[in-house]
Amino acid sequence: MNHFLKDDVEKYIKLCMKNDREGQLKIYQLFSPVLYGICLKYMKNEDDAKDVFQEAFVIVFQKISQYKFEGSFEGWMKRIFINKLIETLNKKKKESFFLDVFDPDTDFVEEEELEVIPMEQEKLLEYIRDLPDQYRTVFNLYVFEKMKHKEIAELLKISEGTSKSNLNRAKHILQKRILSIKNFKTA
Amino acid sequence: MKKHKIEDIFSSMEDFSSVPPPELWGQIEEKLDKPKKKKRAILWWSAAACLLLGLLLPSILYFTGSPQNNNLNNGGFDTNSVVLDNNKNQHNKTTSDENADKTLDTTANEVVSTKEQLDNQQPNQNQENAVAHSDSKSKETNSNSKSEDKINRNTPNQNFSNQNFIASEEKTTVKSSAKSPLEKNKKTANKGISEERIAFGKPSKFNSTAQKQLSNSIFDEQFIPKNNKNLALNNNNAFVNNGNSKQNLNNPKNNNAEKIANTVGKENSKFGMPLTKQDSVQLAELQNLEKGILPLEEKKDKKEKKDKKLDLKDRWALAVFAGVASSENTKNEKTLGNVNDSKQSNSYGVKTKYNISNKWAVSSGFKLNELGQSVANVSYVSAKGNTLFVPGVAASNNAASVAGNSEYILISNSTKEALKSDNIQSGKLDQNLRYIEMPLEVSYSVFNRNKASINVNTGGFVGKLISNNVALDGHNIGQNVTANDYVYGSTLSSTVQYRVYKKTNVFVEPAMNYYINPLNNQSFNQFQWGLNFGLNVSF
Repeated sequence: MNHFLKDDVEKYIKLCMKNDREGQLKIYQLFSPVLYGICLKYMKNEDDAKDVFQEAFVIVFQKISQYKFEGSFEGWMKRIFINKLIETLNKKKKESFFLDVFDPDTDFVEEEELEVIPMEQEKLLEYIRDLPDQYRTVFNLYVFEKMKHKEIAELLKISEGTSKSNLNRAKHILQKRILSIKNFKTA
Repeated sequence: MKKHKIEDIFSSMEDFSSVPPPELWGQIEEKLDKPKKKKRAILWWSAAACLLLGLLLPSILYFTGSPQNNNLNNGGFDTNSVVLDNNKNQHNKTTSDENADKTLDTTANEVVSTKEQLDNQQPNQNQENAVAHSDSKSKETNSNSKSEDKINRNTPNQNFSNQNFIASEEKTTVKSSAKSPLEKNKKTANKGISEERIAFGKPSKFNSTAQKQLSNSIFDEQFIPKNNKNLALNNNNAFVNNGNSKQNLNNPKNNNAEKIANTVGKENSKFGMPLTKQDSVQLAELQNLEKGILPLEEKKDKKEKKDKKLDLKDRWALAVFAGVASSENTKNEKTLGNVNDSKQSNSYGVKTKYNISNKWAVSSGFKLNELGQSVANVSYVSAKGNTLFVPGVAASNNAASVAGNSEYILISNSTKEALKSDNIQSGKLDQNLRYIEMPLEVSYSVFNRNKASINVNTGGFVGKLISNNVALDGHNIGQNVTANDYVYGSTLSSTVQYRVYKKTNVFVEPAMNYYINPLNNQSFNQFQWGLNFGLNVSF
């Protein structure tokens, strides 16, 4: 069965390599929800997410001939999307994007373990998107992409300290928001 | 209540998915059609730019950097007339040198052999440069403006044809895509997606599925044991099943497929949209497959390295290039007591490259190259200025016969001082040896990231002499009799390459060549530097 499906996906990819619209549509149908979800997590508003989503998907189809059929195709696409998202965020910024310098005294906030009520994905997404761009980017890369600070620093061209600082501040903001919800509900 | 860390709370968002609005596919389709034109345009423009640069740079360097300009008018000939006549020769393509040699007396014309006349036709390109330069200013302006006109006239035509080509292609694409049955699929898909969105009922800020996925919180994940995944009890599966439940009731054959889909459990929710029965089965299989591949992803870096190593595609590359070369006198060699000066020339070629490994490659091809030198203030005796001059007799032991033409006797500085004759004139001696060369090079990639790469190349070459030309004050006087028919040499270069489109690259290649044996028993510029511009296509 797996072989059958693998062959199918490979078939669609090969069709895409020939610029075949049917193959492109199949790939789009299969992977667009995950990839659109990523765009929503990284961009502050939905219009920006849509723009990046389109552009990144176009890049995927344009560069699909570079995919060597080794490793996850979804992973390959995700990397393209994340690069595009970061590129867009970098272009958007007018002020310095990652100005924060790591300060061990203030940035090592003791992480609280929270007792929380179940939260909806939409609510969680809202919290993430409310974060400042730089915090949100580092948080996404660290928590969801499982990247290390060194890798994040290289990708975003910032220092490891700045990456740590941004992550801690993001967590701190999220923690506060979740606690406020909890307090509100319990009160 | 159990305590959670922030990461845990947000871990449910890791696989967050959301169906994009249906209109996005249409917009992607539009964008997919557009960039091709741009890319092709970039390709054509970069090719044109390379060619133009390769052709213009040598001329610019020649006209601006040559110290020979002043010397041209110092000689005993009327340079302008020679130049003009050479032009006529070139345009008329006649074998007669009568017009070309108006300033020379008739005896001289008789002596010039037919062979020499034939030879003159080939190096006209080189003469043309000198001609344009030595001509009066007004003529220079004219010739320049003419050439500009030519460029201007040609360029729009090329552009026009390119545009036509692109336009026609685009039309074809548009037509074909418009007529394509895939359009139906697209509509169906979009319709499907929109219908699915409607089916969810609630219009969400992001999409309807997001709300359907709400129950997929970390708490659900934590309280449901992993073994229960197969039960497909969570809401995400529920909405997939709901979409198909009616069909399943009617078609029990599909139950197996449905089971497979269910076994994937909430993984299906990743795609966040109610899929058709067939798609959900495929999706389930894909998920299984993805799971299998996931461990491989962890070794991503290793694999990427491996990818490069095992990449059997794009092993071959074909390059065309044009550039400028300058022959240099590195050893302060002298001809007839005068220092050899550098001389600029053009080079063109085509080469093919084979990548042995990620880092190493070998290349070979053909190249038209010219080695040359200029010697200023060369003393000579001409038949024109000496009525008693008998060709052949004057070629005494003290005179150096560089050219194979007995009309002119070139005299070394020491002989000149000894003779102290009024008949001795001085002028500039230009020698050009044009070769067709076959290099064999080894390349090592020192840098290769994204679209840019830098290679260092070294190797040797063998060249066959195809043109041998000696000119005195711009006037061709024959050949260098000591030139070897075959030369050997070594080369060292560096290729800076940038990918402009898929497998097409533009490159700049500074190079150094050393010729071992251009002449027998005479000094000649043996070192040459060059700068090539080219286009490279890998396949």
